[in-house]
Amino acid sequence: MSTLLFYDEIDKPGLASLSTYHDIGGYSMLRKALDMEPQAIIEQLLASNVRGRGGAGFAMGRKASFLPKGDMDKYLVCNADESEPGTFKDRELMQKNPHLLIEGMAIASYAIGASRAYIFIRGEYMHQADVLDAAIAEAREAGFLGDRVMGSDYSLELWVHRGAGAYICGEETALLDALEGKRGNPRLKPPFPAIEGLYQGPTLINNVETLMNVPHILRMGGEKFAEIGTSGSTGTKVVCVSGCVRRPGNYEVELGTPTRDIIYGLAGGPPEGRKIKCWFPGGSSAPVLPGTDEYMDLPFDFESIAEAGSMLGSAAIIIVDDSVPIVDVALKTAKFYRHESCGKCTPCREGTNWTVKMLERIENGQATPMDLDIMASVCDQILGNCLCVLGDAMAMPISSMIKHFREEFEEHIEMARERNGLGAAIPVMNRDERGPDRSAEYSAVGH
Amino acid sequence: MPRPEINWITFSIDGREVKAPENAMLVDAAKYGDVEIPVFCYEPKLGQPVGACRMCLVEIEGIPKLQTGCSTPVKDGMVVHTQTERVHDAQRAVVEFLLINHPLDCPVCDKGGECPLQDITYGWGPGTSRYIEPKRHFVKPLELSPLIAIDRERCILCYRCVRFSQEISEDYQLILNERGAHSFVATFDGHPYVAPFTGNIVELCPVGALISRSYRFRARPWDIEGAGTVCTLCPSQCNVDLTVRDDRVLRVSARDNDEVDDGWLCDKGRFAFQHIHVDERITEPLMRQDGKLVPVDWDTALTAAAQALGEAGPRAAAIADGETTNEEAFLLQRLFRERLDCGNLSARPGGDLPLPLARGLADPALQATVPDLEFAHAVLLLDCDPIDDAPIFDLRLRKGVRRRDMNLVVASARPTALDANATTVLRHAPGTAEALLVALDAALSDDRGNLGGAASAAGSSAQAVQDLLEDLTSAGGDIVILYSERLFGGPRGPQAAEALLNVANRLNLTGEGAGLLEIPIGANGRGVREAGFAATHGPGFAPVANPGLATHGIAEALAEGQLSTLYLLHTDPLRHMSDGELWERALSSAQTVIAHESLMTETVATHADIVFPGEAYAEKEGTLVHPDGRVQRLRRAIGHPTPFNRHPGSGVRAGWQVISDLAKLLGLDFGVFAGSMASQQLFAAVPFFNGLTLDEIGGRGVRWPAREAARLAFGETSREPVALDVPPAAAVPSEDALRVGTFRPLWSSKEVDVSPILQYARPTQVVELSPVDAERFGVADGDKVEVGVNGTQVQGAAKLRHAVPEGTVFVAEGLSDASSSLFNYGTVQLRRLGGSAEESPINPIIGMPAIGESPFNPPRHELRESPPGTAPRMNE
Ligand SMILES: Cc1cc2nc3c(=O)[nH]c(=O)nc-3n(C[C@H](O)[C@H](O)[C@H](O)COP(=O)(O)O)c2cc1C
Ligand code: SF4
Ligand code: SF4
Ligand code: SF4
Ligand code: FES
Repeated sequence: MSTLLFYDEIDKPGLASLSTYHDIGGYSMLRKALDMEPQAIIEQLLASNVRGRGGAGFAMGRKASFLPKGDMDKYLVCNADESEPGTFKDRELMQKNPHLLIEGMAIASYAIGASRAYIFIRGEYMHQADVLDAAIAEAREAGFLGDRVMGSDYSLELWVHRGAGAYICGEETALLDALEGKRGNPRLKPPFPAIEGLYQGPTLINNVETLMNVPHILRMGGEKFAEIGTSGSTGTKVVCVSGCVRRPGNYEVELGTPTRDIIYGLAGGPPEGRKIKCWFPGGSSAPVLPGTDEYMDLPFDFESIAEAGSMLGSAAIIIVDDSVPIVDVALKTAKFYRHESCGKCTPCREGTNWTVKMLERIENGQATPMDLDIMASVCDQILGNCLCVLGDAMAMPISSMIKHFREEFEEHIEMARERNGLGAAIPVMNRDERGPDRSAEYSAVGH
Repeated sequence: MPRPEINWITFSIDGREVKAPENAMLVDAAKYGDVEIPVFCYEPKLGQPVGACRMCLVEIEGIPKLQTGCSTPVKDGMVVHTQTERVHDAQRAVVEFLLINHPLDCPVCDKGGECPLQDITYGWGPGTSRYIEPKRHFVKPLELSPLIAIDRERCILCYRCVRFSQEISEDYQLILNERGAHSFVATFDGHPYVAPFTGNIVELCPVGALISRSYRFRARPWDIEGAGTVCTLCPSQCNVDLTVRDDRVLRVSARDNDEVDDGWLCDKGRFAFQHIHVDERITEPLMRQDGKLVPVDWDTALTAAAQALGEAGPRAAAIADGETTNEEAFLLQRLFRERLDCGNLSARPGGDLPLPLARGLADPALQATVPDLEFAHAVLLLDCDPIDDAPIFDLRLRKGVRRRDMNLVVASARPTALDANATTVLRHAPGTAEALLVALDAALSDDRGNLGGAASAAGSSAQAVQDLLEDLTSAGGDIVILYSERLFGGPRGPQAAEALLNVANRLNLTGEGAGLLEIPIGANGRGVREAGFAATHGPGFAPVANPGLATHGIAEALAEGQLSTLYLLHTDPLRHMSDGELWERALSSAQTVIAHESLMTETVATHADIVFPGEAYAEKEGTLVHPDGRVQRLRRAIGHPTPFNRHPGSGVRAGWQVISDLAKLLGLDFGVFAGSMASQQLFAAVPFFNGLTLDEIGGRGVRWPAREAARLAFGETSREPVALDVPPAAAVPSEDALRVGTFRPLWSSKEVDVSPILQYARPTQVVELSPVDAERFGVADGDKVEVGVNGTQVQGAAKLRHAVPEGTVFVAEGLSDASSSLFNYGTVQLRRLGGSAEESPINPIIGMPAIGESPFNPPRHELRESPPGTAPRMNE
C-alpha cells in the first residue's frame, strides 16, 4: 500500500471546517514553522525536493530560495486557476480540505517573508471559492491569519481572487497581470516573478497541490518526504484520470507507480471491448503516447514520462480509445488552444488559428495529405518560438498525433473527401475562397 | 540623479567581435556590428520590451531556445548568431504567420513604400505562403478618431499603439479587445480616441493599420521629400520632419531629439500644419482703403509703413510673439532703437522684468534642461499645466515618474493633468503663486512669521507648504522648478521673480541636473527676449539707456493717444493679452496698425491698416531659443506662397527681408542679404551666442548655457537671498462670489482655428467648477452659465470637475471669440443661463462609425472658394 498524504482522510466528514481540521492536528505545523527560522523551512523544502504540481515541475524549494531576502513587499500567490482540460484535482482538494491549503500558504509565506498572499481561483469554481472564503474567515478568527499569527510577530493577510474565465490566466505571469487588474497577458521573462512579480515585488507562485504538500514536509521532515516516490520525483501525486475509462476520477499515487496500475488498476481501463488508442499523460498540453504495452509499463513520474517523449504536466491522464477518431481529438484540442490563446505573440495567435482551419478542412473533406505536412510544419514553427508555452501546448499534442497516427489522418482525409463527393485527393482551395466554380469551362480534372 | 553610465563590452555576432554598450538590447547592440535584426514590437521609446511579435529571435550559444533579441541585454563574451538555418526558419515562420491574416493590399495602402512589414517581408520572409484558408475580416476602415483611420485587417497586433496610450500618454483609452486571433485594437466602449497625443500612434504603427486622415491617399513615398525643421506652435519647439509634395506640406512627423521631445509630438503640432495651406493665409501686402483691406504691391505697403513709423518715431511701439524668430526680433529692435529712438518693445504679455531680474533668471548656472525633468530627484510643477502650456513636457514628467521614480510635486491653482502622478498636490488660490514662493522661501529659511502669513495669503497652510517642501527635498538635491512665464504677469511680477530666485538660491539649484525651467507664453518667447526685443534690455540682456513701455503701458499709451503707430509681429493682442477691453480701445485709437501676420484673423481684419503677409514656420529660416536655452534652427521646407496669377516676388517675403527693406526706407542699412547673414549679426551681438554658427546648431541645436561663451558673458554670478514681503492675500470666496482663475487651453491657437481636421478640438468657453458649488448654484454639467464682475461677463458651458476646489471657477483664455483674457484675479459672480448647451461632438458614442458615416465628423471649415493654384482644401 503506497503512502497517501491527501486522500487517506479526504472524505472525513466536516474536514472543511476548522474544528475537524484542528482535531486531526491541523495548524500544528504552522505553529512549528513560526518557531523556526524562515531559512530553515526553505532548507526543508529543498531537502524534500518537492516539484511543482502545476505543470512545469520546477522544484519548489529552489524557486523559493530565488526570492531576495530582506525587508520589502513580497507576495505568495497560489495558482488555483486549474483550467487545463482533464485536470480537476485542485478543485476537490480545495473543496474538501481548504485549511490544509491555508496552512501550507501561511507556512510558505512565513518562509519567504511575505505578508500578503492571494489565491487566484478559476472563476467557475464558485463553490470552492466560497468554501475558501469561509475557511479563511474561520482561520482569521482563530488567529491563524491576520495580525500576529498565532501570537507571533508575523502577520499575514490572505485573499481569494476569482478569475474571469481565461485559461491563460493560469500561466503565472498572466495571472499576476490579471491579479493586478490588467488584461491577463503573459509577461516577458526574465524578470521572473521570484525577482519581480506582483506589483513588481518578489513573488512566489505555486500550485494548490504543491502548497498543500508543505505542512506534510514539515511534519515528516524534508528528507523523510523525499523517500516517498522516486529520487527525482518525490512525494505522491493526485492523478486525474478521465476519458474512455470505467472509473474516471482523482487518485493519489506515489510518483513512480506503474502507469498500468493507474489506468487499468485504479481507473478500471477502457470499456469492455475497446482498446486504448492513445493517452495524454499530463493534461491536454502533453504530447499523446500510444496505448501500447511499452508505454503502459512506464513508471508514472516526471523523468520517465519525459524520456518517453511527453510530460507529466499536471498529471491529468486522458484516455482515448479506439472508438474515437484521432482527427476529432486533434480538432477539439486545437480549438481549445485557439480559443484560449491570448493573442499577444504571433506564432501562437496565428498558428493555433491556422491549425484549426486546416483540421476543419480535413473534417469537411477538403484537405489532402499534403496538408498534414503543412500542419506539422506549422506546429514546428510554433514550438519554442512563443512568448509563453500556451502555443507549445497546442503544437506538442497535435504534432504527436500526426507523428503517431499519420495513417489514420490520411484515411480520414480520403473518407471525408469521398463523403463530400470530392473524389481522390489533389490539392484544392477552399471553395468559398475560390470564387464561383468555373471548372465546367475547362476540361475538368475531377474536383 | 546620475545618468546611467555606459560600459563598453565585447561580444561576438555572426562570427565577428563587436564592441557595444553593456546591457543594450541585442537588436541595438547588433547595430554596432552592422547587423540588422528585424523587429516589429520593439520600440525603446515605449519603455520595456514586450516580446510580442517574435520577429527578433536569435541564437545565443549556451541557451537552448532561440531568444528575442529585443529583450536580451548584451553581456561581455556573449556569442550570438543571426544567420543560422534555425534563426532563418524562425524569421520566415513569423513573417508567414503575420501575413496569413494580412490583406496584402500594399498597392492601395498609404504605408506602402515606407512600411516595416513590407521591408521585413522582402528581407526576411519566405517569399511564398502556404495559407489557403479564409482570412480574418473586419469592417474597415473605421474612424478611430477624427484624426485617425483604423484598418484592423492590416493590424499585426504589435501592441505599440496600446502601449503608447497606456504607458506613455497614460490616457488609458486604447486597449486590445477580444483575444487570440480575434484580438483587435479599440477603445473600451468604441468611443473615439481623442486625447492630446494620439497622432503618435500613427507613426508608431509598423503597418498601414493606423493612418492619419489628413494624409490618407495624399501621396506615396516616392512622391515626397522630407524637410527637417522645428514646430513653432508652442514653446516645446519639438523637432519635426515635414513631408513635402509639390511644395506643399502634407504631414508632420517627429524628428526624434531626446534632448527636446523624446520623439513625440502633440496633435496640435502634428495636424495644425494645415494652416499653411488654407485660404485664410495672407499671401500679399494689404492696406486699408475706405475701411476695407485691399491688395497693394510691396513698395506701396513698405513705403506707407516706413512713413508711419518715421513720423511716429519714439511714439511707435512693437509687440512680437508666436513664431517670430530670433533674427526677426533682433532686426526689428535694431530698427526701433537705432532709427526711431524708441524702446517700446515687448514680447511679454505680462510685462517686462527689470534687467537684473531678467538677467538673473537667465543665469546659465540656474538653467535646467528638458532631460533634467526626467532624471531629477524631484520636480516642482509651479502653477502651470504642461498639457496646455508645453504639452511635450507633460510626457517627459510622466516618464520621469514612471521610469525613474522622480518625485513630482505639484503646486497649482487649477488641477493639472499630472496630479495623479504627483507625490504631493498643493492647491493654492488663483494668482497667488508668488505668495506660495514666499512661503517656501520662509520655510527654507525658518521664518515662521512669513511662512504662516504667506501660506494663508496663498489660500493654503503652513503645514501644507512644509509637507510640499519635504517631498520636494527628501529624495535628493537634483530639483527642478518648472513654471510658466505667467508667474510674472501683473504688477507684482518683479516681486514674484525675486521670490523665485530666493527659493532657487536656498535650494541650491545651481548644480548639474537641477535648476529652473520657464515655459514662455510665446513659442519663441525666450529667444525673442534674448535677441533684445524687450522694454528693459537690449540683445543679450545689454542695458539700455531709455527703457521703453512694456505691453500694458503700450496699450494705455495707445488708448490715450500718446503713441501713434503699432507694429504687431505674429501676435494678436486681443487674443493673448490680458485686459482685452483696454486693447480694444488701444487698437481703435492707434493711428496706424502694421500687422505682420500669416493668417487673416479677426484682429487683422478689423484693426490693421497695413498688412505684411507673414511666413508660416515651414517657410521660415532662422533660429529659435528653446525654453531650456537650446538654440534651434528653422529651415525652409517649402517656398513662399504667392497670390494667384501674380509675378514672383509679389507674395510672402521672408520676415528678415521685410524688416530690412523697411529699415532701408528709413535710412538704416542692415547689410543683410540672406537669412544666414541676419543670424551672423545676431550671434555677434549677443555675447552668449558669440561664436555660434548655423552649422554648429545643425539639426539638433546647441544649448547656449552650456557653452563657454555663456560663462564669459555672465561671469561668476552669486546672489544673496533678499528679504521678501508677504503679498496681499487672495480674494476670499463668499456666498455669491467665487474666486476666478484662467488657463490657456492647448488648442487655443490661430493655427488650430483654420485647420479643417482640428475643428473638433477648437476650444469653446467653459466654466470649470466644483460639484459642490454647482449644486449650490443649481448648475448641472453642460449648463450654460455666465460669470462676471463689474459688467465684464463670460458665458460658457459649465464643466464639473471634482478636483476644482470649492469656491473657485476657472475660465479659458486665448480663445478666438472675445470672451478671453477679461479677468485679473479676484472674484466673480456666477449665474445659470439655461440648460445644457450644444452637445459636444466628441461625447462617447457606442461603436466606431465607418469613415464618412460619423455623426461627429469634424464640421467642414467654411472656406472661400479657392481659385485654381492657390491653397487646396485639406478636408477628407
Ligand atoms: C497556459 C498555461 C496555463 C497554466 N495553468 C495553470 C493552472 O491552471 N494551474 C497551475 O497551477 N499552473 C498552471 N500553469 C503553470 C504555471 O505557469 C506555473 O508554472 C505554476 O503555477 C507554478 O506552480 P508549481 O511550481 O507549483 O507547479 C499554466 C501554465 C501555462 C503556460
Ligand atoms: S503563446 Fe499564446 S497565450 Fe502565450 S503569450 Fe503567446 S499568444 Fe499569448
Ligand atoms: S494598430 Fe498598428 S500599432 Fe496598433 S497593434 Fe496594430 S499594428 Fe501595432
Ligand atoms: S508640443 Fe508643441 S512644439 Fe511639440 S508638436 Fe505640439 S505644438 Fe508642436
Ligand atoms: S521585436 Fe522582439 S519580440 Fe517583437
